Amino acid sequence: MRMEHFILLLMWLFGFIGFILFIPKKDWRKGFLAFMMFHAIIWLCDMPAFKYDLLRAPVRELPKAADLPLTIDYFFYPVLFSIFYVHRRVNGSPGSRITYFLVWVSAASLLDIVIERYTDLLEYEFLTWYGMWMYIGFLFYISQVCCNWFFKDKAKFLGGAVGNE
Amino acid sequence: MKIEWWLLVSVYVVATGILCFIPKNKIRLGVVAILFQQMITFLIGLVVVEFGLLEYPVRFFASINRTSFTFEYYAFPVVCAAFNVWYPNHRSILIQSGYYAGFSSVLTFAEVLIEKYTDLITYLHWEWYISLISIFLALLIARLFCVWFFAKEGGF
Repeated sequence: MRMEHFILLLMWLFGFIGFILFIPKKDWRKGFLAFMMFHAIIWLCDMPAFKYDLLRAPVRELPKAADLPLTIDYFFYPVLFSIFYVHRRVNGSPGSRITYFLVWVSAASLLDIVIERYTDLLEYEFLTWYGMWMYIGFLFYISQVCCNWFFKDKAKFLGGAVGNE
Repeated sequence: MKIEWWLLVSVYVVATGILCFIPKNKIRLGVVAILFQQMITFLIGLVVVEFGLLEYPVRFFASINRTSFTFEYYAFPVVCAAFNVWYPNHRSILIQSGYYAGFSSVLTFAEVLIEKYTDLITYLHWEWYISLISIFLALLIARLFCVWFFAKEGGF
């Protein structure tokens, strides 16, 4: 098995374990919503990013159907974001919240850069390492804003919205 | 401009129009239905194209993506949102089944017409009833997820 395939398997494994381990059951709704929100946003943003050759994914799961990396876009980064979102401090000082955000974005970018450098899973074309850092920061920020909007008024969505009260 | 591009653009217009009709107190239900449906269509859409069951000759982002971004990212998730927002929850089982059957068959019928008369989609190893069944299942799974998601706290 190629190292790339092994890494993809590890991403699925760690993704599942991470979600179960780091997201308490009472926060599963929040975790799922964050996961799905990030997935929708990264899907939308990666389409033009790949179309205009900012980056490529030479080794990927469904090479005939799309040039996008399925595991990373569909599963692994959304899991990372959902763990980030569930554990962020809502009432912390602005300084601590910004630090938390930057640490996560930098760690995710570092992971991305390592994957780019040492494997064929990702290949930056016009994108640089700081470009990826900004891109991931952008994705995290937009997803966070959308999730915050969704959860801003608890009474509005828990119970009743489906009509099954 | 080819008829296919007009159709794609009008799909965006109509879908956005449907979104505008969703009542304000059900926006979150619509959002969850859209996001969850995207999870299904993203994966299944890629798999059926990968195995050569379907193809979409005219499509957006053609150089990097052989699936239908329009249908999978926007059109079907929006229909799923409408399905959930106006779901006849307190009605009889007959009406609920009819609701499922109505949505699934109208979508399938539209797809068959589009397949026959345009280059937006081509069935390779595919039949209309596979569409019917998969659309029905996708709507059902998304509905179950929405019911779980919006159940009162502690309900799982």
